[in-house]
Amino acid sequence: MDVVPTTARNRWKPFCFAAVFMLSASAVDCFGRNQDNELTFLLPAGSSECFYQSAVQNGTMEVEYQVIAGAGMDVDFTIVSPEGVRLIVESRRSDGVHVVEPTEGGDYQICFDNSFSRFSEKMVFFEILTEAPGGDAGGDEEWPMLDEPDGSLLEYKLEDIRDSMDAVYRRLDRSRQMQTVLRAFEARDRNLLEDNLWRVSFWSCASVLVMLCVALTQVYTVRKLFDDKRRVCT
Amino acid sequence: EKSSFLLLSWISSISALYFHIGETEKKCFIEEIPDETMVIGKYRTQLWDKQSGSFLPATPGLGMHVEIKDPDTKIILSRQYGSDGRFTFTSHTPGEHQICLHSNSTKMALFAGGKLRVHLDIQVGEHTNNYPEIAAKDKLTELQLRVRQLLDQVEQIQKEQNYQRYREERFRMTSESTNQRVLWWSITQTLILIITGIWQMKHLKSFFEAKKLV
Repeated sequence: MDVVPTTARNRWKPFCFAAVFMLSASAVDCFGRNQDNELTFLLPAGSSECFYQSAVQNGTMEVEYQVIAGAGMDVDFTIVSPEGVRLIVESRRSDGVHVVEPTEGGDYQICFDNSFSRFSEKMVFFEILTEAPGGDAGGDEEWPMLDEPDGSLLEYKLEDIRDSMDAVYRRLDRSRQMQTVLRAFEARDRNLLEDNLWRVSFWSCASVLVMLCVALTQVYTVRKLFDDKRRVCT
Repeated sequence: EKSSFLLLSWISSISALYFHIGETEKKCFIEEIPDETMVIGKYRTQLWDKQSGSFLPATPGLGMHVEIKDPDTKIILSRQYGSDGRFTFTSHTPGEHQICLHSNSTKMALFAGGKLRVHLDIQVGEHTNNYPEIAAKDKLTELQLRVRQLLDQVEQIQKEQNYQRYREERFRMTSESTNQRVLWWSITQTLILIITGIWQMKHLKSFFEAKKLV
């Protein structure tokens, strides 16, 4: 006895098939290509933050971090592998670059610790670049559903053009990553400079006030010495 | 049907960087971007299930509140999304934009002291472009699409460099202002010191003369 009418079942079949295909295709898409994750966040004083990044077997993972604001400009940094092994432990550094190669399959834990600082919160910028084992998949697998240009006569020329464009794309992507790093350096210098400006103004004012207070205190003390009650004999 | 295909594909292809967030905790991220740049953020949440001892996907009734502030700390987006969400904004002024997330669970019992796992992916600039969609709309072949992608990349790099020039100018102005302040404050302090010394001497001299000590 059919619970679902045959016509309805036939309609759902291609949907289910396509859904499974889509899921598997996008799973491959997720792990087969290079990924670039960057975040800038505020780490409050006396606390720590951990981020987790999954990696595939035998891939490459590059982690770069910089402290861009906060007194002292340093933070504790740790990378823990999926097995629980502490791969990298750094204490009170202001920036660092680490490459984990080859990576185990699983979730890597990347932690920033600011517990040594009681009052100053830190702004931390970090970037995680993951690469699949085979390197960049290349243009062919990136957009599988597109038309190929009709170039059967000029096939070898098209291959050359395609290869150079792929190379240009990879280099431009790398330029963007470099720009991001330079931008973080500049942000750090700018924050430091603005802190300096505030510090110069504040301590100059304080210095003038201290000077005036000292001058008045000196005069008052000397006058007190020659009070009427304790007359100095002339 | 087509929309459900797209939904399935972007949910599973969200980049796999995640972190844990407590019940009332607010996590903020800063994106420094040039003007007229589009930013797309996608997130996916999972809740720890004590019974199965693992993280369950997509808990219904658990929402995340997303708040985005522009460089002048004016709120440009403040919305509640479901357990899986996607937010978009375009910057109109260059600078540091702040993206804040906190959970707004309707049923407090769901959390019960546990932690929420949030998968987050923030794409900026030309990474926001959906190239298969552009290809379908303009009917481009693969090579044409690749050229379009390269053009977008170069445009983004150019925008970033212009923004860098603007930031460097601001940096130079702050630096010169600091130098000026150091110079003027040093001169002022020296003058105040000299004047105070002279006043002290004069005042004490007249005081001693009044007391007939000199």
